[in-house]
Amino acid sequence: MTPSHSLVAENLSAGYGDSVILNGLDLEVPPGKITAIVGANGCGKSTLLRTMSRLLPATQGRVLLNGKSVHRSPTRELARKLGLLPQSPIAPEGITVADLVSRGRHPHHGLMSRWTRHDDEAVAQALEVTKTADLSERAVDELSGGQRQRVWIAMALAQETELLLLDEPTTFLDVSHQIEVLDLLTDLNHSRGITIVMVLHDLNLAARYADCLVAMANGRLHAYGNPEDVMTEANVETVFGLRSRVIPDPVSGKPLVLPIGRHRLSGL
Amino acid sequence: MTTISFAYTVAAGRLARVRQWRRVVVALMLLVLAGFALTLMLGQSFTPPDEVLRVLAGKDVPGASFTVGQLRLPRAVMAVLVGMCFGMGGVAFQIMLRNPLASPDIIGVSSGASAAAVFCVVVLSMDGAAVAGISVVAGLAVALIVYGLSFRNGVAGTRLILVGIGVAAMIDSFIAFVLSRAPSWDLQEALRWITGSVNGVKLDQALPVLVALAVFGGLLLSRTRDLEALRMGDDTAAALGVRVGTTRIVVMLASVGMIAVATAATGPVMFVAFLSGPIAARILGPKGSLLIPSALVGAVLVLGGDYIGQFVLPHRYPVGVVTGALGAPYLLYLIIRVNRAGGSL
Repeated sequence: MTPSHSLVAENLSAGYGDSVILNGLDLEVPPGKITAIVGANGCGKSTLLRTMSRLLPATQGRVLLNGKSVHRSPTRELARKLGLLPQSPIAPEGITVADLVSRGRHPHHGLMSRWTRHDDEAVAQALEVTKTADLSERAVDELSGGQRQRVWIAMALAQETELLLLDEPTTFLDVSHQIEVLDLLTDLNHSRGITIVMVLHDLNLAARYADCLVAMANGRLHAYGNPEDVMTEANVETVFGLRSRVIPDPVSGKPLVLPIGRHRLSGL
Repeated sequence: MTTISFAYTVAAGRLARVRQWRRVVVALMLLVLAGFALTLMLGQSFTPPDEVLRVLAGKDVPGASFTVGQLRLPRAVMAVLVGMCFGMGGVAFQIMLRNPLASPDIIGVSSGASAAAVFCVVVLSMDGAAVAGISVVAGLAVALIVYGLSFRNGVAGTRLILVGIGVAAMIDSFIAFVLSRAPSWDLQEALRWITGSVNGVKLDQALPVLVALAVFGGLLLSRTRDLEALRMGDDTAAALGVRVGTTRIVVMLASVGMIAVATAATGPVMFVAFLSGPIAARILGPKGSLLIPSALVGAVLVLGGDYIGQFVLPHRYPVGVVTGALGAPYLLYLIIRVNRAGGSL
C-alpha cells in the first residue's frame, strides 16, 4: 500500500492567549508510518497535535494536508481525511458502544443525507477491527479503561480517515492495556496503511512502537528520525534534563532508556 | 461472523434506537394532547367533549363559548407553546455546556428577559411584539455578559454557572424594584414576572410565541447532529467536523430567542427550562436527540402545573409556583451530587 497523503507543518507557531508554546516548528509526518512525539511536560506536544488538527489556530506558519492549509479547509471535508482522538473525550451518559462508534460517521453526513449501507459497514468494520464487536450493545460507561479506549479508537476509525492523530492514547491505562492499544494501532497501520501520529509519555514504549520519533523541547523540534538516532543519552539529557543509560531493549532491539537518579545506583 | 453480516446487526441496533425514540416522542405527544384536552374540558365546571369540539369548530355554544373559547383555549395553547419553548431552549443550553445546571433559568437569561418585559409592560405600558423583541435583546445581552464575565482561557462550566447565579440574583432584585414602584400594585401581574403565569392570556398573545417556536426551534433542529457531537466534548466535536464556534453562536441565539419570547408572554415559568431536559433524558435514555422530547416534556409540565395550580391545590396559584416547587428539590439534589463528586461539574 503506498499512501498518497502528506501532513506538513511549516514554521509553525501557536499558543494560548499571550503565551507562545509552539515556536517556529517544522515537521514532515512520514506517510504510512507511526510517529511518536515525546518531550517534557509543557514542551508543546499536545499543542502541536492540536494545531496540526486545526483545533488551535496557528499564530504563524501553516499546516498543510495534501498541500492544502488545514486552517483554511472546510472543517467537515478535513474531518474525512484527518482523524483526531483528544486526550479526554466524553462519552454521553449511558450511550452504547455501537451508537458512540457510529458518531464517527458525522463528517460524512450533511443536514439532509440519509444513513447508508456503507455507514453501517464502516461502523461494523471499526467495531470488529478493534475487537469491540461483542461489546456493541453495552453502555460505554460500564467498560474498563482499556475497552473504552478501544471504543474511542473505533469511533475514529469509523471516520475512515487516512491519518489518525492521538493525544496520549495510553494515559490512565494499566500496562497490559497500554500494550493492547499500541498493538492495535500498529495493526491498523500495517493492514490499512493509516498514518499514525501520537503523543506518548512512556519513552520506552515510544521507542519500541514508533517508526519515527519526534523529540520536542521548548516548543521546538529537538530531534527527529529513527528511534535509534533520536533516543540517545545526550538527547534524553537535553529534552528531559535527565541523565540516563540507553541500552538495546532485549525484547525488541530498540533503544531502552534507563533513568539515572540520585539514589539506588550501582556499578556505574 | 463476516463484516457484512455484522453490518446488519449494527443496522438493526441503529433502527431499534430510532424506533424507541419515535415511540417515546409519540407517547409524549399523546400526553400533551391529553393534557390539552383536559384543560379544555375541566375547570370550575365540566364541559363535555362534543361541546368543546363545537366551540373549536367556531360554533356558538351558550356558556361553553366563553369558558372554553375565551378562558381555557388561550390558556391551553399558551401553556403548550411556552412549555415547548422553555423545554427545547433549556435542553439546548444544557447540552451545549454539558451541564444540567447551565439552564437559562438558572444562569440569568430568563431573568434578563423577564426584567425587560416587566419594565416595558409596567413602566412603559407597552405590549405585543415590541415587548417580545426587547426581551430577546435583553436575554441575549445577559447571556453575553455572563459568558464574558466567566471567560478566562475558555469558559469552564462551573464558573459560568456561579457567575450566572450572581447575575440572576441581581436582575431578580431589579424586577422586585420595578414591581414595587409600579403605579398600580397588582399581585397577579407581579407574580407573573417573578414566577410565571398563564392567567388571563389572550389567544393573540400566543402568535409571537408560535413564530419564535417555529423559527428558533427550526434553527435548533437543523443543528441536532452538531449538538449531539458537542456532547462528546468540544475537541471531539471539532475533530468530527463540527464548527464549534458557529454552532455555539447559533444554538445560543436560537435558545435565548425562544426562551425570551416565551418569557415576554408568560413570565419565566420557574424551572421548566431546567427540568424538561433531565426528565426527557430519564424517559428516553441515550437513544437520540433530546430537543423534541424535551419540548414535549416542557409542554406537559406547564399544562400539568397550571392545572394543579388552578384546581388541585386548596388555593389558586400561578403555574410557576407549582413548577418551582417541583424544580427546587431537583436543584438541591444536583448541587449535593456535585459537592460529593468533589466540586467538578
